[in-house]
Amino acid sequence: MAQRDIAIIGYSETPIVLRSGRSQYDLAGEAMAGALKHAGIDKSEIDGMAVSSCFSDAGNPFYGPILSAYLGLELNWCQVTDLGGASASGNVARAVAAIRAGLCETVLVVAADSQSSENKQSIGAFRGEFQYPMGIMGPPGYFALISQRYDHQYGLDAKALGKLAVTQRNHALMNPLACEKLKKPITVDDYLKSPMISDPIRMLDCVMVCDGASAFIVTTTERAKKLGAKKMVHPIGYGERVNYLETDPTPDITDGGHSVAGPKALKQAGMEVKDIQMLQPYDDFLIALVLQMEHMGFCKKGQGCAYVNEHDFSHTGDLPLNTGGGQISAGQAGLAGGAHNLAEAVRQLFGEAGERQVKRRENALVTGIGWIPYGRNWGSSTALILEAAQ
Amino acid sequence: MSTTMIEDPLAGQRPKPIQLNFTKPFWEGAKEKKFLLQYDPKAKKYQFYPRPVSVYTGEREMEWREASGKGTVYSYTLSYKAPPPFKDPKPYIVATIELEEKVRVLTNIINCDTAKLKIGMPVKLAWVKAGDTDYPVFEPA
Repeated sequence: MAQRDIAIIGYSETPIVLRSGRSQYDLAGEAMAGALKHAGIDKSEIDGMAVSSCFSDAGNPFYGPILSAYLGLELNWCQVTDLGGASASGNVARAVAAIRAGLCETVLVVAADSQSSENKQSIGAFRGEFQYPMGIMGPPGYFALISQRYDHQYGLDAKALGKLAVTQRNHALMNPLACEKLKKPITVDDYLKSPMISDPIRMLDCVMVCDGASAFIVTTTERAKKLGAKKMVHPIGYGERVNYLETDPTPDITDGGHSVAGPKALKQAGMEVKDIQMLQPYDDFLIALVLQMEHMGFCKKGQGCAYVNEHDFSHTGDLPLNTGGGQISAGQAGLAGGAHNLAEAVRQLFGEAGERQVKRRENALVTGIGWIPYGRNWGSSTALILEAAQ
Repeated sequence: MSTTMIEDPLAGQRPKPIQLNFTKPFWEGAKEKKFLLQYDPKAKKYQFYPRPVSVYTGEREMEWREASGKGTVYSYTLSYKAPPPFKDPKPYIVATIELEEKVRVLTNIINCDTAKLKIGMPVKLAWVKAGDTDYPVFEPA
C-alpha cells in the first residue's frame, strides 16, 4: 500500500550550462540554497544528505563528508550513491528509508556535476581489458548495439524517435534553465539527417554533456506540516534493479531492468500504467525512452515505436513526457543529469512549470538509468512514482 | 547499400589492455593465440569476461578452456567516431559476437565487406595487436 508519511517540500535546479568552469561544490551550493529558499526552511533542519557521485570529482573517496562540510551541514546520515543517472531517484528512496529507520528526519537529496568542465572518471575493471582496446564509442556505441538488435527483432521506426526528439526539443524551448546551445527548434527531418555517430545512433539521439545541479528537501509529512510547508509531493512507489539477467550469458539485450523496477513501483503505489499522468523518464538516448515504455508495461515488447506514434507526449498531450526538455534537449549535467527529470516532475506536481505546465498533475513517473555493463543493456534501473499532496 | 571493405581501421592505435591479476590465464593463452574461457564444471556453463568467481554459483572452482573461436554476430554497429586515444580512424565495426560456447564477446570485426555485415553472420577468431599484446577480434568465417 502506498504510504504518504514522507514528503518532498522543496526543490531547486540550476541552469544547465556547457563548460561552466564551475566546481560541482559551487553548483551544489547554488542548488541547496535554492531548495532551502523554495521550501522556506532553515539549513539547520537538515540532518541527512544523499548525494549522487559525479565525474568532475570522481577520484575523491570522501566526497559526501567534504561536500557536506562545504555546505555547512552537520549530519546524522550521509550517503554517496553511485547508480549513475539513477542516483537522484535512488536517493529519494534512500532518504525515505533512512527517515523511516529513524536515522535522520530531514534530508538534502543533491546531485551536482561539472563533467563538461572537468572529467576525472577512471573506471578500469573489465573495460580496461576488454573494452578500451576495441574502441567502442562509449554509450553511443552501446546504444547502437542495442538499437541494431532491436531493429533486427522488431523493426526500429526512426520517425518515431524523431517525434520524441522534436517533442522534447519543443519542451526545452519553454524551459529557461535548458542549455542555451540546444534552444533551437528542430524537425523530424533534422533528426533523420543528423550525422551518424555509431550507426544507427545519430547525433540527435544523444545527450550533450553539460554542468548543473539539482537539490530536493525530503522530510516526514508530519514535520513538513509543522514547518508550514505549503506544497508537498509524496514518493509513493519505488523499484530498483542493479544488473539484470546477469547470470544469463546470452540475454535478450532489448529487455532491461525496468521490467522489474517499473511494476514494483506501480504495485507499491497501488497503481497501474494507465493511472500515470505524466512521464519523466531518464533519457540519455531516444531509444531508451522506447525501451522503458516497453519494459514498464506502457506497451508490449516491440510495440514501443507504434506506441510513440499513437500518443501525444507534449505538455498538452495525453501523456506529457520530459516536459523540461529531458536531458537530450535541456543538456545532461553529467551524473547529475538524472536529477533533471526528477526536478521537472516535482516542479510540475507543485504546479510551477509556467507555460509548459501540464493540466493533470496528480502524479508522475520518474525513472533513472545508470552504467552500461559489458555487451548488455543498461545495468541500473530505477522507477519512482510521485504524487502531489491533496 | 554501397560496399566497403573494412580491414582494421584501428590497427596500430589500440591501447594495451590494463590487466587484472585474476585474468592472467586469459592473456597467457592469448600469447599462443588461444581464446580461453572460464568454465564452471558444476553449472556446466562458460562465462566471459573473466570473473573472480563463477557468476552461476559464486564459487571459485573454475577451469580455463579454449574456445572454438567460432560464433555469429548478435549485434553490430558501424562507428564513425572513436574515443581517445584513437585518432580519427575510418569507420570501423564494433560487434557483439555470440560464441558456440554460449557466451558473448564485445569486439571488432575486421576484413569485412559492409554489404555482407548482418546479424547472424558467421565469424571466426582473428588476432591483432593492442599495444604489444595479442588481442582477439573476429572476421567473417
